[in-house]
Amino acid sequence: MSAGNILVWIVWFAAAVGCIGSALAVVAFRNALFSALALIGNLISLAVFYLLLSAEFVAAAQVLIYAGAVMVMFLFVIAYVGWDKDIAWTGGPSWQTLGGVVAAAALLTELLVVIALGASNELAHSNHVSADFGSPASIGRLFMSNHLLAFEVISVVLLVAAIGGVILGAQKRRDRKGVKR
Amino acid sequence: MLGPGIAWYLAAGSAVFAIGMAGVMLRRNPLIMLLSLELMLNGANLVLIAFARRHGSLDGQVFALAVMAVAAAEVVVGLGLVVAMARRKIEIDADLLSRLRK
Amino acid sequence: MIAAAAWVCLLAPLVGVLAIALSGNRLSRRAAGYLATSSTAVAFAAAIVAFALTLSHAAGNRRTTTTAFSWIETHALNVKLDLFVDPLSLVMMLVVSGVGTLIVAYSIGYMDGEDEERRYFAYIAFFVFSMLLLVEAANFLVLLVGWGLVGLSSYLLIGFWQDRPSAIAAAKKAFVMNAIGDAAMVLAIFLLIQHAGTLDFVPVFANAGLLGMNTWVVNIIAASLLVGAVAKSAQIPLHTWLPDAMEGPTPVSALIHAATMVTAGVYLIVRTHPLFEQAPHVQQTVAGIGAVTLLATGAIALVQTDIKRVIAYSTMSQIGYMFLAAGIGAYGAAMFHLVTHAFFKALLFLAAGVVIHALGGEQDMRKMGGLRKRMPRTFIAMLIGAGALAGLPPLAGFFSKDAIVALAFSGGVYDKMLFAAALVGVLLTALYSFRMLFLVFSGEESKETHKQLAKHRGGEGPGWMMWPVAVLALLALVGGWLQIPGAWHLFSDFLGRGGSLAVTREWLLSAVSVAVALGGVWITWTIYSARTQKAPRAPKALVEKLYFDRAYDLLFYRPAVLLAHRLASLFEQQVIERSVEEVGTGALRGGRVAAAIQNGLARSYVLLVAAGASLVLLLFLIFR
Repeated sequence: MSAGNILVWIVWFAAAVGCIGSALAVVAFRNALFSALALIGNLISLAVFYLLLSAEFVAAAQVLIYAGAVMVMFLFVIAYVGWDKDIAWTGGPSWQTLGGVVAAAALLTELLVVIALGASNELAHSNHVSADFGSPASIGRLFMSNHLLAFEVISVVLLVAAIGGVILGAQKRRDRKGVKR
Repeated sequence: MLGPGIAWYLAAGSAVFAIGMAGVMLRRNPLIMLLSLELMLNGANLVLIAFARRHGSLDGQVFALAVMAVAAAEVVVGLGLVVAMARRKIEIDADLLSRLRK
Repeated sequence: MIAAAAWVCLLAPLVGVLAIALSGNRLSRRAAGYLATSSTAVAFAAAIVAFALTLSHAAGNRRTTTTAFSWIETHALNVKLDLFVDPLSLVMMLVVSGVGTLIVAYSIGYMDGEDEERRYFAYIAFFVFSMLLLVEAANFLVLLVGWGLVGLSSYLLIGFWQDRPSAIAAAKKAFVMNAIGDAAMVLAIFLLIQHAGTLDFVPVFANAGLLGMNTWVVNIIAASLLVGAVAKSAQIPLHTWLPDAMEGPTPVSALIHAATMVTAGVYLIVRTHPLFEQAPHVQQTVAGIGAVTLLATGAIALVQTDIKRVIAYSTMSQIGYMFLAAGIGAYGAAMFHLVTHAFFKALLFLAAGVVIHALGGEQDMRKMGGLRKRMPRTFIAMLIGAGALAGLPPLAGFFSKDAIVALAFSGGVYDKMLFAAALVGVLLTALYSFRMLFLVFSGEESKETHKQLAKHRGGEGPGWMMWPVAVLALLALVGGWLQIPGAWHLFSDFLGRGGSLAVTREWLLSAVSVAVALGGVWITWTIYSARTQKAPRAPKALVEKLYFDRAYDLLFYRPAVLLAHRLASLFEQQVIERSVEEVGTGALRGGRVAAAIQNGLARSYVLLVAAGASLVLLLFLIFR
């Protein structure tokens, strides 16, 4: 166990604790504002994971876009809607709560079993990667060559979302006679 | 590769995903549900990135970026809905919106 | 050519049925009648063609078999769908299709205005087809099919007026009693398969001797066939269904319950006579049953008040004569009487139908009387019919019935007893037939008939009804002349079964029976016409039809109903209905549970997706 290894393990554990803890916090808080802030914490932890996995560009994008833009949008809306609302934490049909927990737990268990089964075989070794693995240049090169279609489609999706957002937020306009249009 | 093997990352990603799923099923506040949805997407992203590292191919990272973009778009629309609901003074409660028509 | 004629004869009525059934409402009611009549007429024409062609063959060479296809082909048994045309079947074909055409034509007038006329004509054409199948069959299995179909047609036609509970009950009774006969026939068929290895008539009869004389096999076969014949021909003890069958329309009574279906039993015995000859005791029983029936039913006919019932009991009595003849081996005489009986019995029924039709449905003879002035032609028709029935020369019945009486005389002690019974039967026949005639036609008109006839606006009956009656009257008049003792024996020559006595003896015996008959006519004339004597009081036993119905009711019907009720309440309701109910309510409950899933909550849907996904993943894990 080299020093680098130990360091990586420590960072990993810290990031893992932050990740899972903040995830639990997102689900558990009654106050929407706190949940949003917890999600920001989760995003940052994930960015650390990405760095450990040599995905530097994705990590940067995660922090800039996700934590920076998307979450800010969330906070704006939460501020507008209000966060101390008297909404029940959970409810619905009696089997919903129990069923939810059970289903999630079951799925998690199964996933862990799958991972454990593969841990000794396929997941044991990772390939060697070059230094520019995960660099913006290489990702950009991929987007422009192999995944050009995906690139274009994503831009269309974003356009559609923007238009949708405008429409959803539009006020009803009244013309001169005061009739709602 | 230094540090934990890929399996650990996958486990972490699955845990985040499962927690997010539980959140969607359990909470009634649509805002919190959206946040939990983001959790699920992020968990999946982590898994993608981990596999990209495992195979030494950048396709997984490209996929993760695409997921991020789509997640952003979906959040826009979802939040737009919530704002519209709030504007019309509708209760922000997922359970009360049980009839698609209304 | 004969084969083609045989097939046309068989299938023409079937085509008629299908045409009427498939046209439904598009066919007018009258047109249905025309269609049915023409299809039976075509059958009759085909029968004549077959008859003429067969005559052109030499006497010993008059059998034709024609096959449609192979029906059952196994190692043990080979049965084909084939028709057999020989003199015996030709006689039946001619009678069935000929008299059938007349009666179907008569129905056009009788059933005019009836709501369900098309159904009637379809059924009656179907009956003609079934009967032709029965008589043209070349093996026991096809015969059984025809037998069953004829029973079905009878059921459908007796219960034709579905809104009358008495008609429905009568139809059921007829069918159940016929079923007893069917079961017996099947037993005979099983034994034949086992011991003769084939069901085709020609080989079975040719090798009848191989079954042995008086062995248990041949005895049971013959006895079973006898039971079938007794059921179908309404002989004692399976006779109680026939009087009730008068609930059906009068043409049905004429065709099925006088001329054709009930004679199927006689046909069966004559057709299978080689088997009966191997079982002489059974054959004697045949004659015995015939004798008992002709006496008992003849006596019961004396006290009947319903005009159709008198004729029904008379039918049973006359078939008793035919059974008697078959029992003593006089097959030719039996068949001859079958033919003449078809003529005059159908004539009587149809003429009675004219009376009933004119009186607006009245069938009680006590309410009739004095119709001779208003309905002279019907009176003459019925007079001819009654005379033929009583056996008065030169009408048809004289020749056929007297042949039977005479042949009975020529046997041993047992046969002499049969002769005595037959002679008493002649008296009874004359008594009841002329009683009926005088009650209906002579004397003064009663108030009810006067009213009814006034409504009827004179006229005896529509043309469609009167012409067949006229034709049948003519046949009843001259039909007997086919076989004049001492002169010629056209009929029995054709059938190939002779058997005759010395001519003078036959004429002597005939004279005796004619004298007896005339005596009976005179007695009834004094009682009912001239009213010089009072009618004797009817004995209770006769009015109760010799208690047969009562006995069957107590012995069979009541226990069966009781058992059915017990089973229904104990088993059916508790066990079967409950379990079926459980299925229904269980499905409803399950549905309600399942419906709870559709609650409109998005979160629940996510839960379902998650649950499903984890389940699938689990399965993948297990079945790696």
